[in-house]
Amino acid sequence: MNRLLKTILWTGISLAGAAALAAIAFERQEPLNAVWFVVAAVATYVVAYRFYSSFIAAKVLALDDTRATPAERLEDGKDFVPTNKWVLIGHHFAAIAGPGPLVGPTLAAQFGYLPGTLWLILGAVLGGCVQDFTTLFFSMRRNGKSLGQMAREEVGKRGGMLALLAVLAIMVILLAAVALIVVKALKDSPWGTFTLAMTIPIAVLVGIYLRFLRPGRILEASLIGVALVLVAVVAGQWVNASPSWSQAFTLSGPTLAIAIIIYGFAASALPVWLLLAPRDYLSAFIKVGAIVALAGGILFVRPTLQMPALTRFIDGSGPVFAGKIFPFCFITIACGAVSGFHALISSGTTPKMILHESHARMIGYGAMLMESFVGVMAMIAACVLSPGVYFAINAPAGIVGKTPEAAAAVIHSWGFPLDPHAIITLAHRVGERTLLDRTGGAPSLAVGMAQIFSGTIGGDRLLGIWYHFAIMFEALFILTVLDAGTRVGRFMVQELGGHIWKPLGQRGWIPGILISSALICGAWGYFLWQGVQDPLGGINSVWPLFGIANQLLAAVALVVGTTILLKMGKLKWIWVTLAPMAMLVAVTMTASYQKIFDASPRLGFLAQANLLASQIATGAIPPDRIAATQRLIFNNRLDAAVTGVLALMVCALLFEALTVWAGILFAGKQAALNEAPYVPTRWAEGD
Amino acid sequence: MPQGMERASRALRKAWHWLREVTGDAAYENYLRHCAANESRANSSALKKMTRTEFYSDSLRRKYSTINRCC
Repeated sequence: MNRLLKTILWTGISLAGAAALAAIAFERQEPLNAVWFVVAAVATYVVAYRFYSSFIAAKVLALDDTRATPAERLEDGKDFVPTNKWVLIGHHFAAIAGPGPLVGPTLAAQFGYLPGTLWLILGAVLGGCVQDFTTLFFSMRRNGKSLGQMAREEVGKRGGMLALLAVLAIMVILLAAVALIVVKALKDSPWGTFTLAMTIPIAVLVGIYLRFLRPGRILEASLIGVALVLVAVVAGQWVNASPSWSQAFTLSGPTLAIAIIIYGFAASALPVWLLLAPRDYLSAFIKVGAIVALAGGILFVRPTLQMPALTRFIDGSGPVFAGKIFPFCFITIACGAVSGFHALISSGTTPKMILHESHARMIGYGAMLMESFVGVMAMIAACVLSPGVYFAINAPAGIVGKTPEAAAAVIHSWGFPLDPHAIITLAHRVGERTLLDRTGGAPSLAVGMAQIFSGTIGGDRLLGIWYHFAIMFEALFILTVLDAGTRVGRFMVQELGGHIWKPLGQRGWIPGILISSALICGAWGYFLWQGVQDPLGGINSVWPLFGIANQLLAAVALVVGTTILLKMGKLKWIWVTLAPMAMLVAVTMTASYQKIFDASPRLGFLAQANLLASQIATGAIPPDRIAATQRLIFNNRLDAAVTGVLALMVCALLFEALTVWAGILFAGKQAALNEAPYVPTRWAEGD
Repeated sequence: MPQGMERASRALRKAWHWLREVTGDAAYENYLRHCAANESRANSSALKKMTRTEFYSDSLRRKYSTINRCC
């Protein structure tokens, strides 16, 4: 294509993106169509990928295709496997895309669609994609070393230990947060509980098939499993209709929490082929299928967003979670914009499989763009609901009351009309007894997705099936994160524990497996239990904690990245990682401070604890509630302590990094870069 | 149209190949190819080849010993 045509094309795409972003930002008269969001996101992604990522690849990182990658130098047919870039981006995307980009935007929709959408799009192209791409590159240049190892080598020993502890802490909080979402989605829902329960025997069946009948035939086994799961979704409506069966599968929040903790323990301790791996295969298929279907549905139905651009809750008084846009929009939406957890994947298996250095751009930067788009679609699905329905589902009973009439009155007083009969009818249409007090984001996202899907296929008749398909899809891959995370957490506990008591460090020792599994399940189970018991819905405390932990990990990855760039002599381009790092440090430190010390009991953990303590002191709490209230006080103080420790760990790492930076910049210290030595490639570009 | 059919069948074959690679369905065949190439390069069979079942168990052990799924 000649130069003029290219210029016209890129100018056109840029203008289309700018016009769509302007419409999203400034249109207030008419409800916006979802197509504006798709155009704004896709045009921004395409322009950012074409120009910004190629600038980073060429100038900042200087990707070099004459250099052999670890996949070439260390090829072993197992871990180090040179892989086609289109295959590897599929692997990498399946690994990074979890429930986070679906749940975060749904919760952040309480501010209106504007703040979350802008953060998803701009945060990804300037922050999240940069973090994923640079971490992938740095790990690739170090034979696939993990983030913790890179922190130790490049920032210092203490830095490495801090990064390891941060990873373990975020893992515990993440598992509690996602488990809480499943509990909130399935409580008192026989259809959803039955479907998810059925995925366990189906996964075991697939596991046995793959282990004994047709070893390693993942594709055919997964297709059989997916077909069975879809049958289970449909069969769920018969369970729901049968009085005795539906009673058996109607479980309360605490019962579900116990069941999930036991399940996590079993999945961590049982052989991986039996439950964990087959569930992962099923989940990956259904995840990608549902995401593609959602994209198709949005383009086919082209729904109009009912939520306003900004709601009154930008003042920090939101019922879904407390806190103002800054910093809480940036904490609530982690995955989809910037997610520290991605740095663990980008420094895991992917860097060991890259064929040529230049592929890191498409895989690192490109896969994160895809995840950001998933987040934008979740935002659309949440905002196609009328705001009244959105808040009825997502606001806890502690704020809006327990009956439809009470909820409608409170939500109406916020300026969002809601007919109490409409929310009852909607619940029955989707096969639920009630949709009130379903905090956590999954049910409202499922209602939004069901509306989009049923607008494409089946109409109102299939609304219930689509709703439960969406719930199953969210719960299934949340449980996959839960089992995989618990297992890796178990290994971390064994590794750390092995320093104190040697036998614990042996991976095959059965008592060690059981003790470490119990420890890790006990840790996340405690936070889950605390969330289930919380009268304010639990999400208000657990999700911000998870967001803070995740964004702190992103700050760690960007601190490590900035240090390496400095050591590479790229001072001129240091802002590429330094600017998102500074933004994340500002966001997380502000959020941590507010979550610990804010005077509002809904926002500050200590203020909430003090309020409850004063209520006990003045006799405002009935005697039979005193023990439970004391537990709440303890939990709030524990949450404050955890937040404080996480923030202090990052401050310590930042201090460590600053001394390294100062040494290089002012004391003229020799910067020791721990890259693997240059070896020329034997492969041509087309290989 | 034969040419169109040919193109469609090529695209389908490519898609199938991609799907097998991305799901890990073709991992054992790739491993065997790697072993064969190594044998011919080193002109020896020093590397003990794993059976399909052994390879599957080994790949699961490696895959689920590290963080491989995100939030």
